[in-house]
Amino acid sequence: MIDNNFDRRDFLKVLGWGGAAVALTGCGNTSVQDGKETVVSYVEAAAYVAPGISTYFNSTCAQCEAGCSVTGRVREGRVLKLEGNADSVINRGKMCGLGQAGVQHHYNPDRVREPLLRNGDKGETITWEKAYELIAQKLNGVSGDNIDFMTGTISGHLKVLLSNYMDSLASKNHFVYEAISPAVQRAANLKSYGVEMPRFHINKAKVVLSFGADFLGAWVSPVHFSQQYAQFRKGSDGQRGVLVQVESKMTLTGANADRWLVVKPGTEGVLALGVINALGLAGLSLPAAVAAMVKPYDKERVSQETGVSTDHLVKLAAILKERSPSLVLLGSAAEGYAHGSQNAAAINLLNQVLGNVGKTIEAAASVPFPQVAPSLGNSAALRMVNNRLADGQTKVLFTYGVNPVFTAPKETNFAANMAKAGFKVAFAHYLDETALQADLVLPLDSALEDWGTHIAEYQPDGVQISIQQPLMEKLHANTRGMGDVLLTLIKKNRAAEYAAFEDYYAYVRTALLQNKRQFADVGVDDEVFWNDLLSAGLVNVAGTSNKLVAKLASEIKLPAAVDTDAKFPLRLIPSVTASLRDGRHANQPWLQESPDPLTTIVWDSWVEIHPKKAAELGIVEGDIVEVESKNGTVKAQAYLFNGIHPDAVSIPLGRGHDAMGRYAKGFGVNPFAILDRVFDDETGELAMHETLVKISKTGKRVIVVKDEGAAGGNQHGKKIAVNIASDQVELSGEA
Amino acid sequence: MKDINEDIAWAKINKDVLKSLESPRKLYWVILAVAIAMISVAVGCEVYQYNMGMGVSNLNNPHVWGLYIATFIFWIGMSHSGTLLSAILHLMHADWRKPIYRFAEAMTTFSLMTAGLFVMVHLGRLWQFYYSLPYPNDRGLWPNFQSPLLWDAMAIFTYLSSSILFLFVGMIPDLAICRDNMHDGWRKKLYTWLSLGWEGTDRQWRNFRITYLTIACFLIPLAVSVHSIVASDFAMSQQPGWHVTSFPPYFVAGALYSGCAAIITLFIILRYTFKFEEYMTLSILKKTVRLTFAIAMIWTYLNAIEFASVWYGHDQPSKDVLIQKATGPYAPFWWGMIFCGSIVPLMLAFKRFQTNIPVLLVTSLLLNLGMWLERWMIVAPTFSHGYYPWTWDHNQWPSWVQWGIVFGSFGWFTLLFMVFCKVFPSVSMYEVKEMVYHRSRATKKLEASGMQAKGAH
Amino acid sequence: MSVTNLLENWSEFRHAHPVGDVPHDPYKWAMSIDLDACTGCNACSVACYAENNLPVVGKEKYAAGHSMHWMRIERYWPVDDTTSLEPATREFPDQGAQFLPMMCQQCEAAPCETVCPVGATNHTPDGLNSQAYNRCVGSRYCSANCPFKVRYFNWYDYPTTENVWPAEMTQQLNPDITLRSKGVMEKCTFCVQRIRAGERSVKNEGRVLKDGEVQTACQQVCPTGAITFGNLIDSESKVHQQWKAQRVELTADEQEKDKEADSGLRGYRILEELRAYPSVMYMERVRESAI
Repeated sequence: MIDNNFDRRDFLKVLGWGGAAVALTGCGNTSVQDGKETVVSYVEAAAYVAPGISTYFNSTCAQCEAGCSVTGRVREGRVLKLEGNADSVINRGKMCGLGQAGVQHHYNPDRVREPLLRNGDKGETITWEKAYELIAQKLNGVSGDNIDFMTGTISGHLKVLLSNYMDSLASKNHFVYEAISPAVQRAANLKSYGVEMPRFHINKAKVVLSFGADFLGAWVSPVHFSQQYAQFRKGSDGQRGVLVQVESKMTLTGANADRWLVVKPGTEGVLALGVINALGLAGLSLPAAVAAMVKPYDKERVSQETGVSTDHLVKLAAILKERSPSLVLLGSAAEGYAHGSQNAAAINLLNQVLGNVGKTIEAAASVPFPQVAPSLGNSAALRMVNNRLADGQTKVLFTYGVNPVFTAPKETNFAANMAKAGFKVAFAHYLDETALQADLVLPLDSALEDWGTHIAEYQPDGVQISIQQPLMEKLHANTRGMGDVLLTLIKKNRAAEYAAFEDYYAYVRTALLQNKRQFADVGVDDEVFWNDLLSAGLVNVAGTSNKLVAKLASEIKLPAAVDTDAKFPLRLIPSVTASLRDGRHANQPWLQESPDPLTTIVWDSWVEIHPKKAAELGIVEGDIVEVESKNGTVKAQAYLFNGIHPDAVSIPLGRGHDAMGRYAKGFGVNPFAILDRVFDDETGELAMHETLVKISKTGKRVIVVKDEGAAGGNQHGKKIAVNIASDQVELSGEA
Repeated sequence: MKDINEDIAWAKINKDVLKSLESPRKLYWVILAVAIAMISVAVGCEVYQYNMGMGVSNLNNPHVWGLYIATFIFWIGMSHSGTLLSAILHLMHADWRKPIYRFAEAMTTFSLMTAGLFVMVHLGRLWQFYYSLPYPNDRGLWPNFQSPLLWDAMAIFTYLSSSILFLFVGMIPDLAICRDNMHDGWRKKLYTWLSLGWEGTDRQWRNFRITYLTIACFLIPLAVSVHSIVASDFAMSQQPGWHVTSFPPYFVAGALYSGCAAIITLFIILRYTFKFEEYMTLSILKKTVRLTFAIAMIWTYLNAIEFASVWYGHDQPSKDVLIQKATGPYAPFWWGMIFCGSIVPLMLAFKRFQTNIPVLLVTSLLLNLGMWLERWMIVAPTFSHGYYPWTWDHNQWPSWVQWGIVFGSFGWFTLLFMVFCKVFPSVSMYEVKEMVYHRSRATKKLEASGMQAKGAH
Repeated sequence: MSVTNLLENWSEFRHAHPVGDVPHDPYKWAMSIDLDACTGCNACSVACYAENNLPVVGKEKYAAGHSMHWMRIERYWPVDDTTSLEPATREFPDQGAQFLPMMCQQCEAAPCETVCPVGATNHTPDGLNSQAYNRCVGSRYCSANCPFKVRYFNWYDYPTTENVWPAEMTQQLNPDITLRSKGVMEKCTFCVQRIRAGERSVKNEGRVLKDGEVQTACQQVCPTGAITFGNLIDSESKVHQQWKAQRVELTADEQEKDKEADSGLRGYRILEELRAYPSVMYMERVRESAI
């Protein structure tokens, strides 16, 4: 038993199971001391490490927040490749390109290897002991109110340690920032369904109508949804699922749609209400309040406002009515406006009137252990941190897993505001833009060297706690796991409670053993349980089942027309690509050289312009164009692209780093920088699609570096990639 | 106009030709220096390419072949006219060939050597080139006998060795003359060794004639086969614009064409440089020009046939490639080829140009430019616009490395050729003597019968 | 070197395509790719980089056409009339795009094999188009004759090129396959290292590989399961069943689908008319006709 004097509730809190909705059985035979183990080096070959024979270890992918479980192939003590773990309900043995590149995060030559202390413009190598001392020294006498910790989405025991650490500093200022997050949708879902992120059953739907949700590319849990999509296309009872995508700029999902409908940017909500109206006219019974609300949205008006033809509107309503259940999804393209929440409400309402709630949308189980449940990021956090920095409220700033200097719009002056904080500590893998602004940079273990537990926001079945374990020995002697660092820091304040844990591994192990009964049969030996757990790489708990509540929106206010600006006539759509996301992986060369699926461009940014608009402006492919918003300009090569609304231009996010090493620095431009500060009216999220721009030629022209050849996407009459109409094919007989 | 002045004394022939081994005009040294400079450019490029990898040539996927292969075909083609002049015309008893066949043969040999270099330069792993030869090895590994490229390697080696043999054998009596007239020194030793104890006995002459004729007979089918096989590299492939049945004769015609054009060029240069005006007469030049014109027209005809068969055939990809050649980024070069190959030779139909040396020099160079473009237009457009639209690449352009090596190859050829002409008699003394003898006898006969000699027969 | 070796083994040395007297046994590796499931996400391509030690060539070399993606995802825009030579003229791609994963088609009568002067690329008894890097002299004739242009040449010495595999990156390299030096041709191998390892392991058990025991890297990663790989002569294998259901014959140059106008089938092979007999069957992308 534990010889420290703190009670069981505190103990559970330390270990992350505090406030559990599921009763925890006693911890009778747990021995914390047993947790005192050290990881055996794979280089000092253990019995199971045979030269030339690969061994496989399960862990969790940390490339995005979807929490896919991976199996690392390890040979001679080196991790070679990641595969999907088939036992995971999230990714079922599959992966995406981003996940595959995880090894390049680990082996990246530009990782920070030593703690660095700012000395003028240079970083001076210091020891960890000195770094810890320095932190203690800087924190000394600073009120908890003036200490901010900014992280990306965080869950599991790292989150527990972090919140306990913040608690020990008497600070409540843990800000979770994600530059790209479905935060508006979460709020809207909470209103419509009573949960932030329900479960979606694309595979059970006969029709999926997606308003800009790039579920095959970068939305929420793409590998999981891709598998659902495959089933959806095969059809549940022989009828192939139909995908209609509505957006102003084609995403990967849009490229896979049976019908891609281009809408005037921001009118997604209008279209949703128009479809509801059309459904009512087609004979679907609508609640009276809804019917009254959508009445003004007759097809002529909707068609005029959105640019979708009445014919398509009617067809869309017809197929939605005819083929049930359907599923309406909403993605960043619909959320990214000042009226984003209203758009989202309208789209959710469409799901409700179609009767999809409870059929293709279900409540997800909630995580029974609130302490380890994920803290979800949003962009409002950036606004808060930035305001605090600007006001001088933040004296000490910690950053981990975020790069706000890169992702904050230039107009926020984040970098300058950050300088106002007296002491900035960046926990970093690379010297990214934020780390370069920090006073102290602490090098972290890669995701493949570290321990941890993760719980993803999107849980398809029950709750999966994913285990992260090192797949190999540390590459660099002086990097530390984030958990270890936090443990060391927290020990300074709460030595007694944490003294028992020599390191983060011991902590995680103890924590999981503590809750063993929850995960395994009674009576399983600790060692067996622990080994099984590591071997599986994940553990499933039932979670608390929930029911959705149907709350029909009674009033949805959509702007009459999208405002135009004579000076800035075009709308900028900063697009999110599956591999580069918000730019944190731009230094992984496989991703830089992996062609963008739609334009096939590599290693650079581009400006997508509709050929019609380009002809008006005299722009041809490869022209370097200047995209100017109120807040700045970026210059990039033009790519003529039919899959974009003529009144919009699009630049992908993720490139344009001026730090982060050889593979990221200097490639492309960063559209985050020129975003206007327009926020969603309800949630305060940055409205990513509200930036108005104008474009002009600079007179320079380059050859666009892309995989597509001189023929473009044209097959010249050759039967290479062929499509067939669904009424001409017999799918039921297929193997 | 006479092919040769039948009053030339045999001793004068010896003297004039031997003089070319001693004191050429200054221009010779200028040419030599320029050639060496050109070679050093190519050597520099090749060293760079060897060290860096083939990528520096700007070849890429799908443009895996480029100027190296095009220029290889060009040089192979150029070699053919030597054989044509010496072997075919020898069999046909066209004695006007006699003063010029020696250098034409030398041209054959040296252009083959140059062509061979391009195969090497082209290889990604040139240090392993011998894998493509059927050499004895303990692994029992053979090259792939199905590959036209292997036939190519074999045909070129055979042709090269036969050409050298033919050149050498034909030179033996002249080497003996050199031996007998040369002052002591390394050259005399060389000639002594190479003339194989030639005494000019009847038996030696008889054996010599039989040997020479045999090699000539052997060489003719070989010459045809070599360029047919080069054509097979393309014709046996499956690519649009390449798998053309008429390619072998088309290539052979093209080869003779470029070879004849090159003979005109070299004729003019040698005639001036080595003061061969008396032997390389304008009358012979005129005959060569006429021959060239005829071959040009055959080539044009075969070219037209190729276009027609592609155009009226139902092979859309081949048609696309043809359209691409005429309208795409290669259009200037393709039309340049048509212009230089089919329009410029029409000049040669006019009598007054047939002996106009400046005009002929320019024309012959243009013809060769056209023939070089032809080879490039066979090789490159197919890559830029093949079967698979996704990989079409219309922007590829050879890098300075490719151009540098192509440029230098002309220097290499010139160097070899010019050194040869300085070391070995580039006009066949014994055959010119024969020619003078025959002509004077014929003239005497004609005079006896009271008729005027008409020059050629 | 023995001439008898050459003469006796000549028929073994080269097969045009499977003929009755020498059937594939016990394996014929083949693939089918369902374009209706393929989303064009590029995961397969990245997995291929990871598995097969493909060099990342960087922007400049990519621009020069020196990229090494054994598996490339092609993106086409649908046209109303597939026989038209004109480019797509729709104002918006309202039917989405069409993605096509393209890699070596492992042709049974491979145009690349016959032309290699040194015999560096050969057909294996289990129906793969092999590439012997050590034997390759880099004439690039194979690539010149490949209709699909899926062969990739080492234009530079990537292992020693700056920033291709710097420092720690080398530790990621798959030791089961070599690094290719400059001047050598390479291409998709159907992950031959995995096949051979699988074959060896079951040989010890005295049996042949069962379906699913060997997966290619692209197949394993594919989130939608669009890629099926397996033994075509194993009637239990999914790839066999898919080929059979689509009535695609390995040795035919015209399939049922081409013969019948409304066969309801969607299996086809690319550039079938060239009679290269590819080992990869594609299944057409389906478009909903009601919307």
